[in-house]
Amino acid sequence: MKELKFLLAVWKANLLSAMEYRAAFLSQVIGMMVNNFIYFAIWIIFFQRFQDVRGWGINDMYLTFGVLASSFGLVSLLFGNAFNLSDIISKGRLDYYLSFPRPVLLHAVSSRMIASGMGDFTYGFVSYALSGYFSLDGLARFILATLLAAVVFAAFLILIQSLAFWLGIMSNLSALALNALLTFGIYPITLFDNYAKLILFTIIPAALMGAVPAEFIRTFTWQSLAELLVGAIVFLFIAISVFRLGLRRYESGSAIQVEV
Amino acid sequence: MKSFKKYWAIFQITLINSLAYPGELIGRSLMILPFMWIFYQLWKVTYEASGSEIINGLTLANILWYLMLAETIELGRPPLARTISENVKDGSIAYLLNKPYDFLLYQFSTVMGETIFRAVMNAIFGGALVMWLVGPPEHPAGFLIALPAILGAWILHFCVAVMIGLLAFVAEDVSAFMWIYQKLAFIFGGMLIPLDFYPAWLQVLARALPFSSITYGPARLFVTPTAELFISVMTMQMLWIVILTLLLTFAYRRGVAHLTVNGG
Repeated sequence: MKELKFLLAVWKANLLSAMEYRAAFLSQVIGMMVNNFIYFAIWIIFFQRFQDVRGWGINDMYLTFGVLASSFGLVSLLFGNAFNLSDIISKGRLDYYLSFPRPVLLHAVSSRMIASGMGDFTYGFVSYALSGYFSLDGLARFILATLLAAVVFAAFLILIQSLAFWLGIMSNLSALALNALLTFGIYPITLFDNYAKLILFTIIPAALMGAVPAEFIRTFTWQSLAELLVGAIVFLFIAISVFRLGLRRYESGSAIQVEV
Repeated sequence: MKSFKKYWAIFQITLINSLAYPGELIGRSLMILPFMWIFYQLWKVTYEASGSEIINGLTLANILWYLMLAETIELGRPPLARTISENVKDGSIAYLLNKPYDFLLYQFSTVMGETIFRAVMNAIFGGALVMWLVGPPEHPAGFLIALPAILGAWILHFCVAVMIGLLAFVAEDVSAFMWIYQKLAFIFGGMLIPLDFYPAWLQVLARALPFSSITYGPARLFVTPTAELFISVMTMQMLWIVILTLLLTFAYRRGVAHLTVNGG
């Protein structure tokens, strides 16, 4: 409860800080929505030409893209520093967070808000509304699936970026992992054979951000809910454990840092 | 001639600089691998479902080599718009403007220096994967024929990227313009799907815009290197290079006229 109050205070401060540059904030939100729409137009063209990919049609793409965009946006808004945690670690900027009586990881990842995330988050709902699967109980499932997919996504980012405790500067590896996750998450899962699917549920958990949440939103099944819940809990547990393990190796650069 | 030597030297310095961190260069180039692998999966399934080996005049191998070159052009480009907008916002553009060189030509020389090895590494990794997946390209010489069009594509992209960067003179943040340009280049440039697969009306529109000269033209020339296509691609590129260079020069002059540098 104490941590939740702390998080709310950090998010409020982030929002106020972002709203200080209102025009930039709005241009990023609207720009990201337009950006997503133009990107998705490519899929509309593709499915107009080829109808479906092994039973996967444009409606499934709307749904998958929607849940992926919303969960991506949610993490960008609430835990923006999860995208550059490796940079914080390798440049010795964790010193700042270590000096506070608050959980280091939670404080570090929540200290930044990426304004464009609001555009992604909102666009996801629009995409869901256009998917043809919209219903009130479906909307409740969409929200739950977005939350769980966001946990998987945040955990994956923390896990990959925490490798910086051992590898040092690793911006290329983290960019590669992020691109792979998003790319595989958007594409129809029916493209992949069983070996590839195994990878998409474990090493690069793209299926837990796209296909499984989409399946859960389409029709409620205990199996898809269990897959999402177990995926979110396991990935979060591993991510926190790896971060804590790495933190023991952390050496301060004794650099004077100013957090703005 | 003396002036050309100056920019050639800037190009060489940046080129050598880009080799200073080979690990980073290789790491960044690996990004093309997941893209090419997933393109292969998507198009393999699509061709299987259609039951035909040739769709819209292209085989599966043609598509994969087309996409490899399109991705090489896209991933080889440094983030120029962001760099220029940051230069404008933090005022460091003032340090570039008072040097004895033309700002735009300086930027072009540095960008080309950064681009060459990035593109080469992407082509090597992407090409190796595509070769393994679908075999060699139908016309290996197409790469040489497409080279002038690749250079033209970089010039066109340079003009657009600098104009977006210079928007920082009037806008607080230019990221939205960068994203939208990138996605317009995706859709009208045929980055994920060659324009040949588009509805006829959209093909006409896309071919008339500069984006197709940036991606589709060079990539299509690589897989089907005919004299007719070469002339058509190069003519379109020259036309857009002239238009965008004029626009860029105008935008740059207007931007600099608005520049106010405080302190130093």
